[in-house]
Amino acid sequence: MRKIADFFLYFILLILAAWQIPWVINFIRTPDTSQVYFAIYSAAADDFICNQFDENRKLQRVGTDGRVYSEAEADSLLPCFFMRQLVADGRFPDSIQGVAVTPHGVQQTNLTIRLNPRDINGNLIELYPLMESMPKRVDLEMPDDVFRITSEGIEFIAVETNQIKEQKSRMFTEALQAKGFRFPALWVSGNPSTRKNYDEGYLLLDSNHRLFNLKRCAGRPFVHEFAIPEGITLTHAFAIEPNARQFRGLATDTGNRLYVLTTDYRLVLTGVESFQPTTDRILIIGNMFDWTVAVTDDYAIHHYALDASDYHLIRRLDRTFEEAADLPGLHFTSADDKFCYPRF
Amino acid sequence: MESVISCQHLTHYYGKRKIYEDLSFEVPQGRILGLLGKNGTGKTTTINILSGYLKPRSGVCRIFGSDIQQMDPLLRRRIGLLIEGHVQYQFMNIEQIERFYAQFYPGQWRKDAYYELMAKLKVAPKQKISRMSCGQRSQVALGLILAQNPDLLVLDDFSIGLDPGYRRLFVDYLREFVKAENKTVFLTSHIIQDMERLVDDCIIMDYGSILTQQPLQQILDTFHRFTCTVPEGYELHLSDAGLYHPAVIRNHFEVYSFLPADEVRQRLLKAGFPLQGELSSENLSLEDAFIGLTGKY
Amino acid sequence: MYYKEWIKTRWYLLLMFLATSGFAGYCLLRLHRVALIKGMGHMWEIMLTHDVVFVDYLKFVPLVAGLLLAFVQFVPEMYHKCLKLTLHLPVSHLKVVTQMLSFGVIAILACDVLNFVILWSYLHEVMAYELWSRCLLTALPWYMAGLAAYLLASWTILEPNWRRRVFNLLVSLLVIKIYFICDAPASYNSFLPVLLVFTLALLILNWISIARFKEGKE
Repeated sequence: MRKIADFFLYFILLILAAWQIPWVINFIRTPDTSQVYFAIYSAAADDFICNQFDENRKLQRVGTDGRVYSEAEADSLLPCFFMRQLVADGRFPDSIQGVAVTPHGVQQTNLTIRLNPRDINGNLIELYPLMESMPKRVDLEMPDDVFRITSEGIEFIAVETNQIKEQKSRMFTEALQAKGFRFPALWVSGNPSTRKNYDEGYLLLDSNHRLFNLKRCAGRPFVHEFAIPEGITLTHAFAIEPNARQFRGLATDTGNRLYVLTTDYRLVLTGVESFQPTTDRILIIGNMFDWTVAVTDDYAIHHYALDASDYHLIRRLDRTFEEAADLPGLHFTSADDKFCYPRF
Repeated sequence: MESVISCQHLTHYYGKRKIYEDLSFEVPQGRILGLLGKNGTGKTTTINILSGYLKPRSGVCRIFGSDIQQMDPLLRRRIGLLIEGHVQYQFMNIEQIERFYAQFYPGQWRKDAYYELMAKLKVAPKQKISRMSCGQRSQVALGLILAQNPDLLVLDDFSIGLDPGYRRLFVDYLREFVKAENKTVFLTSHIIQDMERLVDDCIIMDYGSILTQQPLQQILDTFHRFTCTVPEGYELHLSDAGLYHPAVIRNHFEVYSFLPADEVRQRLLKAGFPLQGELSSENLSLEDAFIGLTGKY
Repeated sequence: MYYKEWIKTRWYLLLMFLATSGFAGYCLLRLHRVALIKGMGHMWEIMLTHDVVFVDYLKFVPLVAGLLLAFVQFVPEMYHKCLKLTLHLPVSHLKVVTQMLSFGVIAILACDVLNFVILWSYLHEVMAYELWSRCLLTALPWYMAGLAAYLLASWTILEPNWRRRVFNLLVSLLVIKIYFICDAPASYNSFLPVLLVFTLALLILNWISIARFKEGKE
């Protein structure tokens, strides 16, 4: 018995050592700022302008050809991104790429989208408030119920009473079924917040991998299916409500291809080579002309410049990370998810 | 006679400090054996080894023929243990503690013996042991051992913290119980007068070894102090294994020995000792004998 | 054996049951008060959008309760080496120590069950399954930490050597940290079964302390 207990103690010590020793070493090592890196596409330069630290840890703007830009130069090369600075300096142009622009117009079409694997890798609460998309008042309001999707249908639960709203549930279930929705849902995405300009409801991936948009319009269900070309199996969809209503969201398929979901319920394949939402981070900084899409995986950061009209690839910049800086060890948590379990 | 306790070749160190080496002794059945020794000679070490709370560096101790370190738990029913300071579960009262122990000794538990002793204590049945005096606690501990009715009793310094009345009570009760039931006892005490009333045999320990193991009466009968006067300024040069702790204070000489007076005389003369006049011999109490054997320092 | 443990700990157990239930009740009362003012819809909304679980107050309550139980149960055993008496009982040492600890484990589990019943009985009335199960699952590792704290503290208290006791304490602190690494609600879900087995297995560490006590390691 003593042997078993000793063995167990050694086992615990081994776990603690594998966990704490690399942690301490990584913690006391100075962080490597050369890995901090961010690039944005400039149509004017037809190049990525990279923000990176020089040897003195000062931020520098550098082109891929090594050319160093001054702050003012960078502002002019990225007029949409630095719109507010240009306006403040009185340098904002009347037109960009031959298109007449106003600061307001630029602001409306600028967009920033961030998707982090941590947001979807977790034990998510599968309850969703479905807001009224056509509210009588201007402001959006949180509904007095939330829905869940079961294998039989959609259920609305009144929050004040914690009771299922039978009638509403039936009405929405039937509406979904009428459009060919097969329960349960594989994936649900929406932005249940009143701090947005408008509401486009939820994107639902049904059990046949078909993608639907569900909204509540004047209290009634609105369901519309996306046209998915043959051979594409979607895995994730992300509802996005950009200010200028240019599109409905993003989606990925089993081949990790990234699609833009258009307002007319189509899929447009983007020039992004690969994006795996459960492992990669994505940052999209877009304007009315182009998008810079930065996909970060474990080994590299890939920058794609896409044309904002059809999302085709204009230019690409890849930068692999240097040898993994951190000492390997046992971890319980990860920056990529909200799970806690031991792993190496 | 069958040995209840048999310790062979015990060696123990605390770290690098040697306590004793190759120590062997036996305790025959039906005897009360007292372990005497100065502080630090390993009395508590021996008790701890015997009660199974210390693993000696080498050697083996058997009780009822079974190695203590691998003893069948049921054999512990036959061993009563009194730990230093009469410690018992502080959080229980007289009734609770009796009820608790009783379940472990089915068929041998003598509730009456316990309550007979408790009746003499002036404590309420619900009074917690933590709120008793040391004397009262000793009675509870003794009562529990009497109730357990073990064949062997191991008592670690039973006299500690007791006033003379309680000591006497303890000794008398214990002796009566042990003699009536032919029990075996192994005990230590730092108060030697108590031992004298109680024990049959003595082991007297010195640093690292046993000086002697004998029946008490034999020690009292044969161990004597011899004194005489010597010339002023005499310097003592005497080394004889049979003569213990010879000492000169001014013109007074004393020496202890198991040998008869004539033999002591012979040996002193042979060693060139300036013996003048009579060599007087005295009978000793156990305490004096202990000091004679172990020395004052 | 249970009788002795019961006498030793009964007042503390009463306190432990009352205090932990009190904390659980307090959490619910707070929730209820806010719900009265702002409406239950508000509570659902902040749970959904901010991932709040309302039971945060309970985070360290089971930990403290478990630690104190270990103290109440085992400090008297180490007082003047009372444990010698316990180990002298005609029962195998393995059984003795397992019984003493299983008493504590059962007491803690009973207390935990009571707490969970209190939480559940209110939460399931006012919240959907997805929400109340999330609250309880978030609290579960904290309650396991209480059990672990009890077993690790007893391992440390029963250890006879002071230097080794400090070592045990350090190991215990790191082990306890495992239960509090991740703050995200319900993040331990998939790890819980393994963690539970690990937690209960901590009991066997106490065999080391008992064996060392027996060998007279001081």
